[in-house]
Parts: sequence; structure tokens; C-alpha cells
Amino acid sequence: MVTKYDTVIGLEIHVALQTESKFICGCSTEFGAPPNSHCCPICLGLPGALPVLNEKAVEYAIKTGMALNCEINRFSKFDRKNYFYPDMPTAYQITQDAFPICSKGYLEYYYEDKLIKTSLNRIHLECEAGKLIHSGDSIIDSDFSLVDYNRAGIALIEIVTEPDMSAPKQARTFLEQLRLLLNYIGVSDTKMEEGSLRCDANISLKPRGSTVLGPKVELKNLNSFRSLERGLEYEEQRQTEVLEQGGEIRQETRTWNERTGKTASMRSKGDAPDYRFFPEPDLPPLNIDESRVEAISLSIPELPLERLHRLESEYGLSRYESTFLTNYPEFGGLFFELIGKKLQSGAVVNFLMGDYARLAREKGHLTASRIGELLEILKEGLINNNQGKDVLEELYKSEQSPREIVKEKGWEMVSDASELEGVIARILSENPELVSRYENGEDKLFGFFVGQVMRATRGKGDPEVVNSLLRKELGQ
Amino acid sequence: MSGLISRDEVIRIADLARLDLSDTEVEQYQKDLNNLLSSGKKLQNVDVNDTKKTSHAVSMVHELRKDEVEASLPQEVVLSAGSKVMDGFFQVPRIVEEQE
Repeated sequence: MVTKYDTVIGLEIHVALQTESKFICGCSTEFGAPPNSHCCPICLGLPGALPVLNEKAVEYAIKTGMALNCEINRFSKFDRKNYFYPDMPTAYQITQDAFPICSKGYLEYYYEDKLIKTSLNRIHLECEAGKLIHSGDSIIDSDFSLVDYNRAGIALIEIVTEPDMSAPKQARTFLEQLRLLLNYIGVSDTKMEEGSLRCDANISLKPRGSTVLGPKVELKNLNSFRSLERGLEYEEQRQTEVLEQGGEIRQETRTWNERTGKTASMRSKGDAPDYRFFPEPDLPPLNIDESRVEAISLSIPELPLERLHRLESEYGLSRYESTFLTNYPEFGGLFFELIGKKLQSGAVVNFLMGDYARLAREKGHLTASRIGELLEILKEGLINNNQGKDVLEELYKSEQSPREIVKEKGWEMVSDASELEGVIARILSENPELVSRYENGEDKLFGFFVGQVMRATRGKGDPEVVNSLLRKELGQ
Repeated sequence: MSGLISRDEVIRIADLARLDLSDTEVEQYQKDLNNLLSSGKKLQNVDVNDTKKTSHAVSMVHELRKDEVEASLPQEVVLSAGSKVMDGFFQVPRIVEEQE
């Protein structure tokens, strides 16, 4: 889209932390349990109940902050954000307002082949709300709603970026890379379909080159990477049209409708809600000591970007190959296991990204030892590449090892010269006319003879041996 | 009397707290809140230059708990707090966004 405006996008990402118990109490965080079966006086906000915070949640928040280059605040505190809504039994959310656990930071990632940074504003800890199920198609046409408090009180982190992105596609790439990083460090299962990763977006336009931000629109109900990109694209277009027609953008919250492909205004009044933040009286401030920070820093594994660069520099893989292995960690894991078996990196990555990728997505992964054996017999020349594909299909059907499959099916490649010489002699004697045409310069007939030999050996002839024997027989 | 807090402010605060106050109550609360705020104002005259900054009323070390699952309440006990329940859920009336 060519416009006179620059697009400015910032994201707010909520991540449910993968702890066994909730943030403020010992209730289980299990997904899919019967409604209202993981609740206690604390997460229901019953009078007199006092929250005690989960150590693991604090650790995961710090771990995330470190992986995202944040400052880890040795002092942070909790606040109450007050609002009345049926998903919040306490009528307030425990969150961190002025003193979050992590400040600043950035994520570095590739976008359109360039390595770029998106700056973060903060990461803070807070409580998850309960879940509402509306009786109608949407909240607007529901006569009543159903409430499940199993989710209420689960630990969340909110990651807030700076208004640092300039295109819907970039926002999507950022979120995909952020999700990958969260998977690598193991703090969340990041399932968007189960709501453990959720994203709201702020988008505004400003005259090209201006440093003053325009009024922003907050977009909600972006339930997938695709909705995030589409919702932002729609809003970019809508705001451009309003401005081109001399109108003004209203600062407001809008909701994305996946079905209609449009956004709609959510609040009729322009005023921001008044949350009346005040210090959480039930929780003292949180002081993080050096030893805790140090221990957590040791638990951070190799991050996606580091892995990508290592695959390129240590194994000589292309950006495309390295990106594949980084973005699909199960494939990356297999790659490293197979490399450990003294297999060549090029052969391994070609195999993983070829037919195997398709089969693995449909039917799941094979073990490294079975894949390793298949690659070994291909390297030894026991079978050719086409037979390799058949063996791969077989591996999904039987428990046998690749060598056993080859043996049982009689698929060993025929590279024994005497056996092949007999076949070649027979084929040439059966086609005297074609032989003479070949000898008179019809070079393309060579391929025909190769094909006949392969047919006679039911595809098991070693192509290299067949080629050289044929050349010899045809007098070259 | 207007004092430190106006009548409109009292009504606004009551509204945020979902309190339905009568005119007499609004007047009473305005008086009470004014008293509170004037007491607070006296504190502003105290010299706190040598006092350590604090952000919480109670000075104590934050104790965290291990990530271990403990027993929850039985579902029927949880639901007994609701005036209307359905299939294990609390049932709430139609939710209308921020209407005033």
C-alpha cells in the first residue's frame, strides 16, 4: 500500500506461565478440567483469604526478561487494578503498575532478510481472569453468560513492546519469533487456541516522517497470527481512508471480527476506564536477590537467534535451512542428534526438509536412530534415493529397522557388475535397431537404455554402475 | 460546602464502586471524605527529609511458595456461592460493556 502515512504498531502480549499451581494459590492449572473444580477461597476472592505467590512464576518472569535482554528489577511491587466484570471474582486484578519485575529489553529477529530489533517497554506479572462463555454468537447478542473460575489466579506475564513496528506483517513476525523464544525457554506452552498466548495491538498513523504519534486504536480479539496481521491491515486501511477524507481518528478500542474481516468500535464513550490502582495490601514488595538472578541465568538455554547463527556458521547451512531447523525445534533436535552420528550436515538437512518433513507433519516424528540408519544405508550405497523414499514410507508402517526392511523386501541395490553386464547385454541384443541409431548419433537414446536396465532390475540397479557399464558396452 | 472534594467527585467515586447513594448519603460521604482528606493534609506538613522511603504499609520480607498443587474446594461448594448455576458454571446476566 502506498500512502502518505507511516504506520506505528505496538503489541501487548499476555502469556500464561506453565506452572503446576496457580500464581496466588495452590489450585491446579490443568487445562480442560470440569468447570469451577480448581478453585479455592483465595482465587475466588472470599473474605479473609490471603494470596501467597508462586516462586516458579516469579522465576519464569525473570527468565523471560533475561532472554529478552531486560533489566531485572531487584525491587518490584504489586497493585490492585479495580474493575467489575464477572470474569474476576475478586473485583480486582493483582498486577504490577509502576514497578514491574522487568523493564526495557528487546527482541532481535530477522524480518524480510534484515536483522532488526523491537524494543520492549516492560514485562510484569499479573493474575489471569476466569473464562466467560457467552450464550449467543457474541457478547452483544447473549442473554446470559457462563463463568468458569478455573483459570482465575493463574500466573500471567504481560510483555509490552514500544510502538516500534511499522507493518502488520512485521508485527506478526515479531509475535511468531517471541512465541518461539518462549517455547525455547520453556516458560509457557504458548497455545493461542487455548488462550495461553494472547495479543492486543495498538496501531496509529502519522504523516510520513513525522515524530508525533497519531491517536491510537487498540485492537482486541486477535486470536491467531493470521488475525493479528489481517486485523492490523484492515485498521491501517481504515485509518488511511478516514485521514484521506479529511476525518480524524478517534482514540478507542476496537474488536476484530474474523468472520466479517472488519473491526468494530467497542466502547461508545471516549473516556478511558478508571481502574483506581492502589498498592496491593496483601502482598509485600518483591525483592529479588543476586543469587536467584544468577541461578536463573544459568537455566537459559540456547535461544532461537543464537541457534540460527550457529547452524550457519558451524554447519555451513543456508539461511533458509537454518531458519527451518530453528523455527521447528523438533526438526532441529533431530538434526543435532543425527550430526552426532557422524552423518554429513548437508545430507541430514536435505533429508529432514524433504519427504520426511511432509510425513512427520502428518504422522509424527521417527527416532533419530531409525533415521540415522536409513541415512547410513543411503550413504553406503545399499539402496538408491528412490528406494530410500520407499524405506521411509515403510518405517511409518512397521517397527523394523531400515536394514531389516531392505533385506525383507529384497531392495538392495544391484551394483555387482557381472549381474548388470548380463542384463545390459540382453537389452542391447533385443534392440539392435536402436543401438545402431544411437551409434549414428542419436545421443538421447542413452537414457532409454538406462531406463530399460532399471526396469529389468526393478529399480535396484546402481545408477552409477549402470551408466558406466552401458557407456563401455556402447563403445564410448 | 465544597472543601477538598466536590459533590460530583463523590458521585463519580460511588459510581465506580457501584454504590447507589441517596442525596443525604452523598452529603454525608462528602463531609466524611473531607474530614479524612483534611487529616491527610496535616501529614503533608510533617518533615520527612530524614525518613526512609517506603512503598508499603508493612515492612516485611516477601515469602514465596513452592510450585506445588494443593487441594481445591469441591465443585458443589464453589457453586454454592452463586445465585444461579448451570452445568457446573456460574450463570450471570447479559454483560453490557461500560454503559453509563
